[in-house]
Amino acid sequence: MTVAFGSRPYTRLRVEQHGPVGWLIFDRPAAANAMDAAMFDELERAWVELEAEPSVRVIVNTGEGRSFQTGVDVVQMARDQDALREHSRRTREARLRFTAWHCDVWKPVIAAVNGTCAGGGLHFVADADIVIAASDATFVDPHVSVGQVSAYEGIALARKSPMEPILRMALVGRHERIDAARAYRLGIISQVVDPPERLREEAQALAEKIAKNSPAAMAATKRALWGALETGLTEACRAGAGHLVSMWGHPDQEEGPRAFAEQRDAQWAAIEGRQPGIGAHQGG
Amino acid sequence: MGDYEHLIVERHGPVGWLINNRPDALNAMNAKMRDEFADAWIELDRDPEVRVIVHTGAGRAFQTGVDVAEIASDGVGMQRYRESVEQWDLHFTSWHQQVWKPVITAVNGICCGGGFHWVADADIVIAASDAQFFDPHVSIGQVVSIEAIGLIRKMPAEAVMRMAFVGRHERMSAQRAYELGMISQVVDPPERLREEAQALAEKIAKNSPAAMAATKRALWGALETGLTEACRAGAGHLVSMWGHPDQEEGPRAFAEKRDAEWVPLEGTSESE
Repeated sequence: MTVAFGSRPYTRLRVEQHGPVGWLIFDRPAAANAMDAAMFDELERAWVELEAEPSVRVIVNTGEGRSFQTGVDVVQMARDQDALREHSRRTREARLRFTAWHCDVWKPVIAAVNGTCAGGGLHFVADADIVIAASDATFVDPHVSVGQVSAYEGIALARKSPMEPILRMALVGRHERIDAARAYRLGIISQVVDPPERLREEAQALAEKIAKNSPAAMAATKRALWGALETGLTEACRAGAGHLVSMWGHPDQEEGPRAFAEQRDAQWAAIEGRQPGIGAHQGG
Repeated sequence: MGDYEHLIVERHGPVGWLINNRPDALNAMNAKMRDEFADAWIELDRDPEVRVIVHTGAGRAFQTGVDVAEIASDGVGMQRYRESVEQWDLHFTSWHQQVWKPVITAVNGICCGGGFHWVADADIVIAASDAQFFDPHVSIGQVVSIEAIGLIRKMPAEAVMRMAFVGRHERMSAQRAYELGMISQVVDPPERLREEAQALAEKIAKNSPAAMAATKRALWGALETGLTEACRAGAGHLVSMWGHPDQEEGPRAFAEKRDAEWVPLEGTSESE
């Protein structure tokens, strides 16, 4: 079942719900899904709406057409001075609001990379919990080949995967690509889908597996593990202890073992709606 | 500068080469070589003709760390280095010397012990197919510390721990290093290592020097702090290019299908 989603229509994205899975699909295929001002606005709205909807347990992010995402649409942004100014301000102040991580989404997020993921598109790989890709997907960071700095995407990727390939991608620029098979071996992604046409089907299947787990336990797990990227090991473990204990006494901790013993699916407590301001990383 | 006993410094087009040149001692680093490294990195970093730096070794080893023979025979031993290590005042890698040009380490043959400093501190590492990696420190009663601290933040930790504890009793192949993402390219046959390194460096030399320097600062900054703080610092590096001529030239050259004419990077060593 496909359900159109959201308070207002989307023009640059398709936002849908398929069972317990929310889908956020970049939908500017004629522009290789590059982000213009309207898409930036819609991305923030879509993440917030998907996070707030209790029947959405897991979110899949993919693209329409031959590209997954190719970063900022510089030409389009230049025509909209207000939007450009606002995006520049957010970039300068590190207050971006277009990925799940920026928007404090604590539901599991799967990036399903179809085709080309270039430059700013790597934000959505860096900031997802799980990344899978079609076998014909490619990863390239052309920033330095057009006189731009590569920063946020590589900073996060360097903390989540071996750093040398990330530095190589950032410094070689448009003169080389990483293919899906290499990304898989490096652990940047965890699954290569072949043939590529089966990407969405596999993403939905993976998301449905994840949707069987306790939403509250997954949200606390996500906070604990992303917290590990913020501090030293001992401090992260201390903070992790807090997330661990946050589930003690929660109904899911009774229901989980009981459902397992009774060999049935667990009936999890619905997760509470988003709690604004709780995110560790956008505190300023 | 420019006159070295244990290093060779060369320029091939836009690529500066730094070659370890004590092949009879497997390129082990004696006190003189250690001092020469400090000068050679600065010389290449300050040369505006040099866009990218390749570091490799002459002979059958890349680097084998501190010259143990000198340590054992000169009556001073490791005490010679006590103050610089205690004060964290090292100057023999590009990272120590704050080189913000891209650095490629091209590992020929053996890389062991202190040789890992130049694997950990390079931006990009490639290796000949017969290269071998091992860390014998604990097998001769020495501590593994600084090299592995860098590596453990850049690649899967288990592999680094295994090398640290198995010591000289096991070697990692170039192929395994590639699988782990410690290196990004295995060159076969091994004789083609320098040719491939030059070709890779020339690709990189086509990119904006200023943008690469800022990118390098942003990404190495990711190893210093938490993710959010690193992104905030990264924003500063990102914005540092706004208004720079390369940001106009890059898209224009792309549209006109020609090579970009980048502004040369000013010498920045030790100006932080």
